[in-house]
Amino acid sequence: MMRAVRAELLKMRTMPGMWVVLLLGFPLTVLFMLRPFIMAGNHTFPHQTFSYVHTLEDRRLLLGSGFSCITLLAPLLGVLCITTEYRHKTITGTLLLTPRRSRVLVAKLVATAVWAVALTVLTFVAVAAVGLPWDVAMGGTVSSVLDQAGAVVPELLLATILLALFGLGFGTLVKNQIAGVLVTIGGTLILEGLIVVLVNVIFHYDLNWMPNEATAAFAGIIARGGGFGGGSNTSLNFALLHWWEGGLVMLGWGLIPLTIGYFTTFRRDVT
Amino acid sequence: MTTGAPTRGLPIEIRGLSKHFGSVLAVDNLSFTVEPGQVTGFLGPNGSGKTTTLRMLLGLVAPSAGTATIGGQLYRDLTNPASLVGAVLEATSFHPSRRARSHLRAVARASGQDDKKADASLDLVGLHDDAKRKVGDFSLGMRQRLELAGALIADPGVLILDEPSNGLDPQGIAWLRDFMRYLAGEGRTILVSSHLLSEMAQTIDNAVIVSHGQLRGSGTLEALTAGIKQQSMHARTPEADRLGIVLSEAGIRFRRLSHDFVAIDGVTPEQIGPVLAQHQIVLYELTHEGTDLESVFLTLTEGMGFGEHAATS
Repeated sequence: MMRAVRAELLKMRTMPGMWVVLLLGFPLTVLFMLRPFIMAGNHTFPHQTFSYVHTLEDRRLLLGSGFSCITLLAPLLGVLCITTEYRHKTITGTLLLTPRRSRVLVAKLVATAVWAVALTVLTFVAVAAVGLPWDVAMGGTVSSVLDQAGAVVPELLLATILLALFGLGFGTLVKNQIAGVLVTIGGTLILEGLIVVLVNVIFHYDLNWMPNEATAAFAGIIARGGGFGGGSNTSLNFALLHWWEGGLVMLGWGLIPLTIGYFTTFRRDVT
Repeated sequence: MTTGAPTRGLPIEIRGLSKHFGSVLAVDNLSFTVEPGQVTGFLGPNGSGKTTTLRMLLGLVAPSAGTATIGGQLYRDLTNPASLVGAVLEATSFHPSRRARSHLRAVARASGQDDKKADASLDLVGLHDDAKRKVGDFSLGMRQRLELAGALIADPGVLILDEPSNGLDPQGIAWLRDFMRYLAGEGRTILVSSHLLSEMAQTIDNAVIVSHGQLRGSGTLEALTAGIKQQSMHARTPEADRLGIVLSEAGIRFRRLSHDFVAIDGVTPEQIGPVLAQHQIVLYELTHEGTDLESVFLTLTEGMGFGEHAATS
């Protein structure tokens, strides 16, 4: 198994698409960093556009600035990991070297998780390189933000891994890279939000088990700056799942398509 | 890697192998054995089921019936299959942005080999100077060499090659021919499919000939050509229809190969010449059916099994 994992890690390291997705994490994290500074400015210093983060929530939001971009980028890591094999027909060579297809999927799962960790680390690097100096320049302190690391880091890390697993499962199911990437981007940015709103308005049903809502529930602290897990959808004002429910639902969003994909598309003949 | 030390090859056994793709029967109850220490050609027209058979052997396609084993085991049951079996299936299975060395290092890692084996393999196939180039910039021939390097990286005793000379220049083909002979001489099992019959004739010890997914003949080249030599002549004529009638009336077996080409079985030129002259059949060509591999191939893939020389008309 370790042989397959090492091979997958090398293959992913030599795919330009993976680096594009990973490195996008830095500027997007910087972009989303504006939110806690603006919130701090609006809430406490109405005459200022930005302020240093001085509440618990704002500090957690700053440290977890990468969360919003991770909801988009982490699934893409998973999608690219599997669909690239089919796009370039490298799946033939992969299966020749590791004929047990379940092992290939597990190896990809581990390798994708490693990349998800790298993405998370990169968002923290962005916070350290840009967010903390900016906060200090406006009067904040580094230690007050870093004190929240124990609450933010594990959540962001786990959320990223679960989202990457979701992408891997979805990619296994669709196989087509273009479709996988487009549906992931469109679904994350537009489609899911639209569906959640429409169902809520028309049928008065809370789709709190959809991927983004479940992730928001799981990562309650960094998603909304509130307490650990739970909370509510701020725009529609419906209750989110408990944090552990959100985590389980996210696990399901990854494992169910992965399992279906394994027993349908992934086990098909490679001709 | 190809140190010259004797290498234990493993026999390949195909038993009753069949594959349906929907209503299409791609491989039909195919059985043959490939022995170590020899180069065995797997020959057949396009669409005859060669690639499907090889993919079933390698666990990429699930058989509808039958088994295909290497050393008595299914490919998927082999422990570290790359150390036992090297396969070259197609020249398109590369990520174009990946460099040759990175590709081979991924293969080496999946095979449990050291990264240094990647460089050694590149040397072996003459791609050392191109190690840092992206595979997308490679010619078809270079890709074939790279694929071969990947197949050899763990020094396997069995090599399965699907049209390996595609895209190779004449020097490359000559190199491949010598290389296969060398590997077989080390005791390895070499199964190679190709449509380049003249090239194969210089390389292989045995041939397995298939058509429409069925086995048409197998054995050593000598046995196959001997079986054909005694049996048949070729006549090219604008009067193929009338020739057929004449031959039928004379009780001579024949096969219509094309609109102006007829194979006449079981007669010598001395026997058939007077018959044709008597009926004033215009001939453009009358030859013994050749005894080379191409002739064997053409005869066996015209819809008749080897050894079944019954008249068809």
